[in-house]
Amino acid sequence: MTDQNLNAIERMAMVKQERMAAKLGKRYAKEKRFQAYGIVSIVIGLSFLAMLLGTIFTAGFSTFYATEIRLTVTYDQELLGVADMNDESQLAFANWGALVKNALAERFPDVSGRSARRQLNSLVSSVAEYDLKDRLEAHPELLGTTEEIWLMADDEIDALMKKQIDRDAPESERRLNDFQISLVDSLIESGELKTAFNTTFFTNGDSREPEQAGIRGAMIGSFFTLLVTLVLSFPIGVSAAIYLEEFAPKNRFTEIIEVNINNLAAVPSIVFGLLGLAVFINVFHLPRSAPVVGGLVLTLMTLPTIIISSRSAIKAVPPSIREAALGLGASRVQMVLHHVLPLAMPGMLTGTIIGMAQALGETAPLLMIGMVAFIADVPGTPLDPSTVLPVQIFLWSDLPERAFVAKTSGAIMVLLGFLAIMNLFAVFLRRKFEQRW
Amino acid sequence: MNTSVKDTMESTFAGWTETVGNAMLEGEARMSTRNTDVFYGDKQAIFGVDLDIGKNEVLAMIGPSGCGKSTFLRTLNRMNDTIDICKIKGEILLDGENIYDKNMDVVSLRARVGMVFQKPNPFPKSIYDNVAYGPRIHGLVSRRAELDEVVETALRKASIWDEVKDRLDQPATGLSGGQQQRLCIARTIAVSPEVILMDEPCSALDPIATARIEELIAELSENYTIAIVTHSMQQAARVSTRTAYFHLGRLIEVGSTDKIFTAPDHKLTEDYITGRFG
Ligand SMILES: Nc1ncnc2c1ncn2[C@@H]1O[C@H](COP(=O)(O)OP(=O)(O)OP(=O)(O)O)[C@@H](O)[C@H]1O
Ligand SMILES: [Mg+2]
Repeated sequence: MTDQNLNAIERMAMVKQERMAAKLGKRYAKEKRFQAYGIVSIVIGLSFLAMLLGTIFTAGFSTFYATEIRLTVTYDQELLGVADMNDESQLAFANWGALVKNALAERFPDVSGRSARRQLNSLVSSVAEYDLKDRLEAHPELLGTTEEIWLMADDEIDALMKKQIDRDAPESERRLNDFQISLVDSLIESGELKTAFNTTFFTNGDSREPEQAGIRGAMIGSFFTLLVTLVLSFPIGVSAAIYLEEFAPKNRFTEIIEVNINNLAAVPSIVFGLLGLAVFINVFHLPRSAPVVGGLVLTLMTLPTIIISSRSAIKAVPPSIREAALGLGASRVQMVLHHVLPLAMPGMLTGTIIGMAQALGETAPLLMIGMVAFIADVPGTPLDPSTVLPVQIFLWSDLPERAFVAKTSGAIMVLLGFLAIMNLFAVFLRRKFEQRW
Repeated sequence: MNTSVKDTMESTFAGWTETVGNAMLEGEARMSTRNTDVFYGDKQAIFGVDLDIGKNEVLAMIGPSGCGKSTFLRTLNRMNDTIDICKIKGEILLDGENIYDKNMDVVSLRARVGMVFQKPNPFPKSIYDNVAYGPRIHGLVSRRAELDEVVETALRKASIWDEVKDRLDQPATGLSGGQQQRLCIARTIAVSPEVILMDEPCSALDPIATARIEELIAELSENYTIAIVTHSMQQAARVSTRTAYFHLGRLIEVGSTDKIFTAPDHKLTEDYITGRFG
């Protein structure tokens, strides 16, 4: 049989082996290359992440421990200059600082002279005296007695202990002079100076003094803000998605709504902040800087995310399940509540948590509604003025004191921790609600 | 399709006037359609069908793919309501009442006219909950013991009880395809419908599962009216008492199953059952 008698396929079959072999090498090479690209991009991504986390951790870790000094304090009514210990207003103006100074003077009896005294007094944080006030108010029976108590050291001492101040540098270039360092050394020697876990960071609100500044205010503020956001945006978003997907007629009007929801998802968040300022604060006169308003603004921002993800979760429910329910005589509402909603729930929850995580990290719109103010008090209700974690980070990153650099990174670590917890929670919920068919 | 058949079709359709055979019954019919047209948007899928379904009969609907069997079946319990573009004209009566009447409640209609779908579609819930769902939503039982009894009876009637009685609380999606389909039949029976519509209920099943479902249909026909769409002529011959042949949206011929499969009157029916096209 000659080649002319063969048809195209038969001719091809004769050379099939060698042609495929030639092609095979290329195909494998291509596949290998493709995999290599993937691995390279993952490595690049991971190394950026590692760099980011590395810098944040090294910068922020020191904020989780703090330096404390042990002093023997005498709660002396005369020193305080208070006539009536039960009078709140007198207590507020009492000379609490004198207790600290007195204790320091007793510990270092040799120090004399105004300047030396001032340097001695600056070992202890200027706000430590309020800890004494709180303690005596909690335990009035301590009046007149003496006790040993750990008080927070000044942020410069803290920096020295964290090796942020170089004690070998020439004295003129140091924030602490030789005399102060000698005082610190004698305290270290006698075990009266230690570094401990910095609970203040988690129990205090913001402060001008870095050693006293904590993120509790921002954490509670974030919690209230997210609570308001969740309580509003989940039910509204899910009902909107259900209505649009299951009940709304498909016409021009619903089409416009659909397009606009997608558009809203792309609106820069600061625009929602301006809207919140104009509507919630200026028209409805809701309190400025309050988590309610923050929550309302973030609700507007998260709604499109929740609606879009809920709709795709609803769409993914197989039509055969709907038909089965309707075929048995279930009403549309029963079909949705009994079958569609449970099956769509994992997707809806995932979308909601992604929206919430976005809201947790959102800064710009909250600046617009005044959550950027300096607020030292920890908010008690969603109506109290407050700030939130990302805004706190923004505020601290702007401050010149060295200790605030660490605090900024510390706050970022806390924020990242919360984000990780939320994502884990999303995974957990998905597992729990997932049903197979 | 070869040209000669196409010619036959076209010439037949040009002169098409009415259905051959006994589409309308002498006695009382459970369901009847009168001059029913169905449209998907502008496209007409069913053309003026008049057909009665008698009490306790098994009516088989056969015809080439795309001729409108499913469409017609779905109009009988208003499942087509879920398709926005679907419009229905004419009358469809259940025990003399027009089911497309404004006063007809579609929920109670579907409780009276149940449906079994082509692909088994159990809910992703337990076997028990699948069967109990209908009675529960319609409030048919008041006590748990009563519900247990209903579930057991339905599963027994669908001849799947022995296979599942020890695993009622396990997910129905873990059953085999044939078991799932029998479960779906049990689920439909559990609301005690008067009519059961089945759209190719065995198309996803192997011959053994198919045989069981066919037996089941024969048993069910003692108490229920059944309309079944099938592509298997043998199946139609085995389970049905009457057969309706559809072609391009028209009801061509209706007659007793024996007659349709042995001596059809219409040329198109004959061509189809002898396998000359379709
Ligand atoms: N949802 C729909 N929208 C538009 N057209 C449809 C829709 N469903 C069915 N049709 C059309 O209506 C006609 C009848 O379809 P139907 O599903 O009733 O056929 P069938 O006889 O059941 O076919 P098969 O045997 O393949 O299941 C077909 O031409 C089909 O394209
Ligand atoms: Mg069909």
